[in-house]
Amino acid sequence: MQFAAVIVVVAAIVAWWQSRAVEPPLWTEAEIDVLQSLVLESLPALPPDPSNAVADDPRAAELGERLFFDPRMSANGGISCATCHQPARYFTDGLRKGQGLGTSKRNTPSIIGTAYSPWMYWDGRRDSQWSQALSPLEDPNEQGTNRLHVVRVVAGDESYRRQYQDLFGPLPNVDDTARFPDVTGPGLGPDWDAAWSSMTEEDRVSVNITFANVGKVVAAFERTLIPGASRFDDYVRAVAAGDLQDQMALFNDDEVWGLRLFIGKADCTQCHNGPLLTNNEFHNTGVLNSPGELPDKGRAVGVREVLVDPFNCLGDYGDDPLRQCAELMFVRTGSELVGTVRTPSLRNVEKTAPYMHKGQVATLAEALRHYNDAPEAMVGHNEAKPLGLNSRELRQLEALLKTLTTPVDEHQFDSM
Amino acid sequence: MFAICIISGVVPQIAAAHGGVVQEDDLCIIKVDYLRAHFKVYQPRISGHEQFCEDLPAASESVFVMEYQHDALGSMPIDFRIIRDVTGKGRFARLEDVERIDDLDSVTVFYQAAVTEPDVFSVIYEFSEEGDFIGIVSAIRPDTNKVYAAVFPFEVGFTGVGYWPFFIVVLLLLQLQYLLMSGRLKRWMGGRSPGVIACLCVCTLLLTPEDSTLADEDGLRVTYTSPSGVPEINRIHSWILHVESADGLPVENAEIEISGGMPEHDHGLPTQPRVTEEIGNGNYRLDGMRFHMRGYWEITVTVVTEEGSSVVVIPLQL
Repeated sequence: MQFAAVIVVVAAIVAWWQSRAVEPPLWTEAEIDVLQSLVLESLPALPPDPSNAVADDPRAAELGERLFFDPRMSANGGISCATCHQPARYFTDGLRKGQGLGTSKRNTPSIIGTAYSPWMYWDGRRDSQWSQALSPLEDPNEQGTNRLHVVRVVAGDESYRRQYQDLFGPLPNVDDTARFPDVTGPGLGPDWDAAWSSMTEEDRVSVNITFANVGKVVAAFERTLIPGASRFDDYVRAVAAGDLQDQMALFNDDEVWGLRLFIGKADCTQCHNGPLLTNNEFHNTGVLNSPGELPDKGRAVGVREVLVDPFNCLGDYGDDPLRQCAELMFVRTGSELVGTVRTPSLRNVEKTAPYMHKGQVATLAEALRHYNDAPEAMVGHNEAKPLGLNSRELRQLEALLKTLTTPVDEHQFDSM
Repeated sequence: MFAICIISGVVPQIAAAHGGVVQEDDLCIIKVDYLRAHFKVYQPRISGHEQFCEDLPAASESVFVMEYQHDALGSMPIDFRIIRDVTGKGRFARLEDVERIDDLDSVTVFYQAAVTEPDVFSVIYEFSEEGDFIGIVSAIRPDTNKVYAAVFPFEVGFTGVGYWPFFIVVLLLLQLQYLLMSGRLKRWMGGRSPGVIACLCVCTLLLTPEDSTLADEDGLRVTYTSPSGVPEINRIHSWILHVESADGLPVENAEIEISGGMPEHDHGLPTQPRVTEEIGNGNYRLDGMRFHMRGYWEITVTVVTEEGSSVVVIPLQL
């Protein structure tokens, strides 16, 4: 009986010891350096896109914004870029996979901050915002239209036409349907291939130039989507200023411990580094296949695609006469890329569920458990190692991730 | 129809071929004749990341993966067939037994027509019933049209107890490998935690010399200069490499190959940097350098001259 009482007391002490709030220690200077590398203040100026001559032209951004939200840019007149990239959801859609005319191949990633990425898509199969913007237009499962239809929408709208010509000069006249066949969706297919090959080389080039220009104005708009400050940024500012009171007002102990794990034991900054919390590179983290689908080969396939994309940096439709395309020219290929996908930004991560390239993971807690386990990859090899975090540490990391949200009304796109 | 053509056209030629699935050390290997691949099967809906070699626990969605150990498989059309085992030979069924089946299609439950998969071969099939099955993988050599095959009998809804001791040994080996691979054993035995290592990396970053690192082997010296001082993270940039001999003379007209990566993370560089220009006086322009995370990197510079080749490893703590 006495023995039992001792056990109960010991258990109670252990429980108290385990659950007591331990105040986090102060940040060291080296840690503050790391923290400051992660905040928005450290975000460099937008990298120039010499392949897009109108990238920084506000008139292009204005036209691009209108086209981004225009559902006429689709085979059924009902799907725009914003169908999947919804501003209120931080330009994602809350679905496992994008839903356009059909179901798209992967989870819809956010567009915010992608101007900083050398690669677009989970598998990096495009190398600029403008070449990326062209691809959903002709994807049978997304907007499902074709480049001639896109040119016709722009040419057929008086105000688009004026805005376009203001930037690029005259539009090609595509009214002659014998010369420019009128093929309606869904997307590219045998009908389209036949129509396209019936056109003269010169006409094909002029349609491609106009089509590329549409991508370039949409990219000019997308370049303006930069993340706004979050509570995390405010906290780090308070840390740098040595303002303890502000720090305590901004972050609770769990969030502080979470941040310590983030830059320390959990090693998140290996990939989620820099102010956008992504290195925009390709990694295999051993995520399970999407049910009913083969394991995704990711970048191994994406890199082959970007190298032959006619709208890539080295192609005929870029505006840079010097073809400064270091990313494409020195791109890594090979079997090491099997099963790798691009690191997504963690900004607004709480609001952009579900996670991973096929939306396989529903919650942040589940995503963290996955990284904690670091299971062997189905294809390729998982670069991550098991973290050995306990459940409290996982909760703390989750609390930290929830501080990375920018209030929607602080984004410049709140009026959309 | 295509399936029938392939089989009827192909089977007579593979009479001489042999192969199957075997357990070698800890690894499940499929031998398509002399061509080997790491073979694994998943039932993700019911057992997540758990790997199986042949027998599968239940009738469920199954993903068969072959990771090539011979690159040649990446350029060969491979087809994959699963049949119900009607040979009566159970797990001793061989290719000859399969060839004796008159109507292969009538017992086929899954067929993937020949495709060339450059990176990794995988198929997915949902078994609707438990039972004995035979997998048949054939790879066709494009130049000679010779067909190589592997045949592996397996059971779905595997309940046999006779193999339990074997499985326990395998599991123990896997666990040991996991402990060794994950470094847990080392840590448990008193190593440093990754958190400490990461922190050390960050600290050393601040101590890294600003512009160059010297390394030497066989007397050859390679110095690098990064225009922005410390190599930046997440930005593609160029280096100038200076190569000189042991007696300090510039090495000219050398062929230079670059490789590298993070040994601790078991991955290479995110780009494929190349020397694009020999500037003269032993200086070479190296384009396409990029680092995507902090930590310990190694850049291996192979310098080939008329006198021979030297390898210099530049350690980098970012």
